[in-house]
Amino acid sequence: MSFFGYPRPDGSAGTRNYVLVIPQGLIAKSICDFVVGTKTIQTVDHGSGRTAKDRERIARILIGLGRNPNVASVIVHAASPGVGYPELTAERLAKEIAESGKRVEIIDPTKDGGVYATISKGMRLARLMVHDASKQRRVEVGDEHLCLGVKCGYSDTTSGIAGNPAIGYLFDKVVKAGGTAFFGETTEIIGAEKALARRAVTPEIGRAILKAVEYREELAKSTGLDIRTINPIPANIKGGISSLEEKSLGAVHKAGTSSIQGVLQYAERPKGKGLFFVDNWMGSFSIFAGYAAAGANLVMFQLGGGGLAGRDLMEGSPSVVAPFLWCTANPRTYAMAGDNIDFYSGTVITDREDPEAAGERLYRTVIDTASGTLSRSETLAYSEPVDLCLEEPRF
Amino acid sequence: MTAKRAILMHPQDNVATSVEEVQSGDTVQVSGGGENRTVTAIEAVPFGFKIALDEISQGAFIVKYGETIGKAGRFIPRGALVHIHNLEGTRARGDLERKEKK
Repeated sequence: MSFFGYPRPDGSAGTRNYVLVIPQGLIAKSICDFVVGTKTIQTVDHGSGRTAKDRERIARILIGLGRNPNVASVIVHAASPGVGYPELTAERLAKEIAESGKRVEIIDPTKDGGVYATISKGMRLARLMVHDASKQRRVEVGDEHLCLGVKCGYSDTTSGIAGNPAIGYLFDKVVKAGGTAFFGETTEIIGAEKALARRAVTPEIGRAILKAVEYREELAKSTGLDIRTINPIPANIKGGISSLEEKSLGAVHKAGTSSIQGVLQYAERPKGKGLFFVDNWMGSFSIFAGYAAAGANLVMFQLGGGGLAGRDLMEGSPSVVAPFLWCTANPRTYAMAGDNIDFYSGTVITDREDPEAAGERLYRTVIDTASGTLSRSETLAYSEPVDLCLEEPRF
Repeated sequence: MTAKRAILMHPQDNVATSVEEVQSGDTVQVSGGGENRTVTAIEAVPFGFKIALDEISQGAFIVKYGETIGKAGRFIPRGALVHIHNLEGTRARGDLERKEKK
């Protein structure tokens, strides 16, 4: 019940060992293009014209990514359009990341001689920081250091039968070992929320789950539309899912059977360990960065795929610093996209493999990946841009 | 001819999920949760789609995972395909709410 990870000063352990450069923009991208072992976030959501609440969300993402256990040290630059807002100053971001005990450096074009000089300074710094990070060795750490996040997508009926149950088994095992696991997608627990609320550790948390669903369902009704024209998405319907409730009831299998310790907002860090429901949006390019900002050191996408027209998976990972696993239980999806798939549990359907045995195989895949085996998407020199989950209107 | 396979998720379910390409007239072996029964398909039920295990009257609940996944929009005979043409979702239906208000 252990993996090989990088211990961090705050007591967490990383599955990777990156130098992070934030926020997004030319300076960060240029540094990362030149220096191996670095990561940055690519998004158009830099904070300009956003409300204080949404700017705080953006700050939470950036600080959270910096504090993520997979990050050894951080460079913060002061040249994003959002930095004029108090929530998003380089000093604030750097200070809160540094509270985790990590090295954080600020670079600032107004003090460092303009953009080109700042890029040059940042490259020099990043090279030294990457070199320093490389001196750290992986050591054996307990599974309580695993922090997982999951989304299921392009769901079809294999997701509920064999795909999500394997994730559920993994989540139960990791939570039992003292680790942390996130699931979410509020629209996609509509129809399954009562059973989830009963699993909450306190009545307040149960009510928070029901309230999150009520808010989302009312919002959906206010469109005046049949939700089936939006969600389930056409690929779900083509894969055999007939209603949002059916999708939800299959989807919640990925949360296993553990008690629910709390309801978190997007990119909010949990106060304890265990299983958490995250009140977030299902967007593939949004949800994983939120999990990583909340501390996830490994994330997974449980893919149905029966309704996909072709091999149109997203390429590369939108989880910025957390390794990203593709899992599927659909034999056709696996045949179509096998070289992208990290874990396959369609054998539960075709070969009557015991679902627990499939879950155990997934656990081994997770331990291997956490210990340094690359995920399939990590072999691509590309990461998807991130669409931050922001709630309020833009002005 | 060997029977085609479908999976029952919960003993109370009145639909099962086909895990093979079922053709009209095929005998379908339904298993899961210790249950084992057969149903004859009266139309094609593709891989991953649902087959009715009993007659379901119009407006009755359709149950999978032991929970309701919607209502029958019309009478569904035993062995029929159950999908969006005869299953009405009941949650987050802004269109129904709009009709009620009118």
